[in-house]
Amino acid sequence: MLARIASEVRPVLDGVFNAFYQYQDSFAFLVLSAIGLAVIFGMMGVINLAHGELMMLGAYITVGAARSGVPLPLAMLVAGAAVGLIGAIMEVLIVRRLYGRLLDSVAATWAVGLILSQGMLILTGPSIQGVASPLGSFRVGNTSYSWYRLLLGAVALALLVALYLLFMRTRFGLRARATIQNPEIARALGVDTARMYTVTFALGSALAGLAGGLYAPTATVVPFFGTNFMVEAFVTVIVGGANVLVGSPLAAALLGAINAFLAQTWGLYIARVGLLVTTIIVIRVLPRGMSGLVDRWRLRPTGAR
Amino acid sequence: MAAIASPQPTLLALDRIAKQFGGVRAVDGLTLTVDRGELRCLIGPNGAGKSTIFKLIMGAEQPTAGTIRFDGRVINRWPTWRRAREGLSIKMQIPGVYPELTVRDNMRVAAQNHIPMGSMEDETYRLLARVGLEHAGEELTKNLSHGQQQWLEIGMALSASPQMLLLDEPTAGMGPGETEETARLVQSLNAEGTTIVVIEHDMAFVRRVARNVTVLHLGRVFAEGTIAEIEANERVTDIYLGRT
Amino acid sequence: MAAATDWGEMSAMNRRRRALSSENLAFVLFVAFMVIYPLMADEFSVGNVAYFLAMTLLAVSLALIWGYAGILSFGQTAFFGIGGYLYGIFALNYDWGGATLVGIVVGVLAGGVVAATLGYFMFYGGVNDVFVGLTTLALTLVLQTFMAQTAGPEWAVGEARLNGYNGMSVPQIMVGDTVLFGRQLFYFHLVLLVGVYLILRWLTGSRWGYGLLALRENRERTETFGYNVRFMQVQVFFLAGCIAALSGVLYASWGGYIDPASMGLTAAVTPVIYVAIGGRRSITAAVIATMILLKLSQSLASSAPEYALVVFGALALLAVLFVPEGFILSLLQALDRWVFRGGRRRRHVAPQEPAPAQPRRVS
Repeated sequence: MLARIASEVRPVLDGVFNAFYQYQDSFAFLVLSAIGLAVIFGMMGVINLAHGELMMLGAYITVGAARSGVPLPLAMLVAGAAVGLIGAIMEVLIVRRLYGRLLDSVAATWAVGLILSQGMLILTGPSIQGVASPLGSFRVGNTSYSWYRLLLGAVALALLVALYLLFMRTRFGLRARATIQNPEIARALGVDTARMYTVTFALGSALAGLAGGLYAPTATVVPFFGTNFMVEAFVTVIVGGANVLVGSPLAAALLGAINAFLAQTWGLYIARVGLLVTTIIVIRVLPRGMSGLVDRWRLRPTGAR
Repeated sequence: MAAIASPQPTLLALDRIAKQFGGVRAVDGLTLTVDRGELRCLIGPNGAGKSTIFKLIMGAEQPTAGTIRFDGRVINRWPTWRRAREGLSIKMQIPGVYPELTVRDNMRVAAQNHIPMGSMEDETYRLLARVGLEHAGEELTKNLSHGQQQWLEIGMALSASPQMLLLDEPTAGMGPGETEETARLVQSLNAEGTTIVVIEHDMAFVRRVARNVTVLHLGRVFAEGTIAEIEANERVTDIYLGRT
Repeated sequence: MAAATDWGEMSAMNRRRRALSSENLAFVLFVAFMVIYPLMADEFSVGNVAYFLAMTLLAVSLALIWGYAGILSFGQTAFFGIGGYLYGIFALNYDWGGATLVGIVVGVLAGGVVAATLGYFMFYGGVNDVFVGLTTLALTLVLQTFMAQTAGPEWAVGEARLNGYNGMSVPQIMVGDTVLFGRQLFYFHLVLLVGVYLILRWLTGSRWGYGLLALRENRERTETFGYNVRFMQVQVFFLAGCIAALSGVLYASWGGYIDPASMGLTAAVTPVIYVAIGGRRSITAAVIATMILLKLSQSLASSAPEYALVVFGALALLAVLFVPEGFILSLLQALDRWVFRGGRRRRHVAPQEPAPAQPRRVS
């Protein structure tokens, strides 16, 4: 009797686990793709179109370090730090000159991205030997799952929590929020906003580099590695809106569900089209994305006094 | 069935308007009417909700409650551009000119929805002359002085031959001479029949131009009357000094 | 009234001066050169430059939307691709005499309609500036990946197999029973380019064009002058979509072929680069820059293909940072100042204290 119940419940549980696994995989992919872009946009209003190429650099550095003997997790952190430094240089040399010319900063970072990917193509050729996906796999029911993909889900959540703590619980975070709210007043209160922007851009770039490193073992590392993440990064930021801490996770939660469902049912390409269509509908209904929705809810009229 | 009534005396009527930004009520159940041909000054301490009212009238913000009537019609749901075409013009607090365009192009942009193409040249000249900028037509607007930009903007607002002109701090950043000229301009416009609502901090200017003054405080009408009555009202002095 | 006469004379002078600018002169010279070019060049070069002319329209569409209306779109290549594919699908399915000419209209309108639809969602949703860039780039990427997976036989519209990454073969343009090629095709492209150019020059000088100029500078303010800003944005997006699609139609019919790569990411780079380098505010500069850079890119392609995009990327970056008006347009403006200096008498406005710069807030 028990055995019969078990044999009937088992496939259902397997299905539930499969859905959970696909969902957390999509969620992690969206969060990790977007997080660096979202930090920079939320803080500075700048869209860094070299974001994908910074992820690509992160992947290259990770692979390079790992292949020369650095343990893989450490290699990823090294990639994050190195790309963060590159981001800081980019901010000082280019982005800083274009404050107040947001469209021009989009065009300029786009040109930087082009130079980075084409330059990498010239330097290293069409692809390099990658690193194997670590941690192996496990089975639930008849399906095999990757431990590493589960780990990425956990890392995505951990990064979101870390960002929350950074922005809400540290003095850096306080200064950053003051700068977002009103740069002039923040300056008047003694915040070095120019340095805040450099640090933010470096932080966003470091997150991009780290994310690139994290996904390096899962894909072939090529100069156009970054384009794999761009659609997901863009739609998450568009749907999320300006508030990274609230908007991005909510956007990833919504889009992750749609993506996982469509990818399971009709495949990856339709899922991408679905992401885009969802995004276009969302912007019509919620111009400032999830952030705007949360604001509206939080700031709704409080009724009679 | 009466004969067709002469136009109602009331041009603009705000009825129990509220606007809430988060927990802050910028405008809190405000009722205000402006008659045709009036020259009304809105005064009040910072944060009284003066500029917010202008935004609500122009449709840049939506009220959380209440109705806005213009020329007898409820305009709450009208987009800004329709309000502009139906006779509302505004000069904003931050200069609302186009700094990168020439003075003449600024005027043309403002005028071309209201003036036939054939008379555009003459009309833009006339309007620029009206605000003393007829010789600056080819200059980039960013090269004008602050006062000249304010005048240009008034001229642009006039090009629509508006029924009602909203002026948000028209003398901000002007010296005494420029302020005087602005006062004269505002008065002559009003004398020609344009209904004008002015937000102003400069009491000397208010004294100079206004017949009716409305004092706003905490998003409500605090007092209303002639300039003499307002200046005699001690409670008004109190709110300016923060005593309420 | 003496002053008014003065004004009238001045503006007549202005108009003359505007007609006699180095920008207009440059375009007239360009067209004159293009008219005689096929008479002195070999067949291959004529075909090659016909291809340049087709691609120039793509840059023109971007100059209109970015330089004139202030909307940075990375979707022009998507509309380009839609135009090319739709033309091909139509022309493959109908083979009566004027079918390819109708196909051009179908392709152009398809690009325009997709642009207008996307524009409606964006602009009526209050999406602007950098978000338009993101959304249009997402469209380009998604469309490319989508088209790339249409290899299977189930992806066919009537007679037209989409063929995924391998691309779709596309009939050439026919007038009656004659296939346009060589010089005929060259002049066909040239006439369309000049036609679009003249229409745009006329439009940008019209009421509508002034309205666009104003909304590029300040959308909120422009609405308070009675402009239906969102509708105008959709209109200009539609028009730019049509022009990009026309470029795609001509490209596809010229080569007899279109594939997803022609609407992909690398393809999306090129118009942005041409327009940034040439000068986004001028359609003339966009045309000239595109011709020069395409030529340059071909000569680089024979020796060092990978370097072309790096060089162009670097040039575009330099232009955005240091010559935001663009190299060609700055050159034309410098010529204007130099050659027509006498005419450009600056009227002096009382040099009072400069207006305090208004810092632009990031919202």
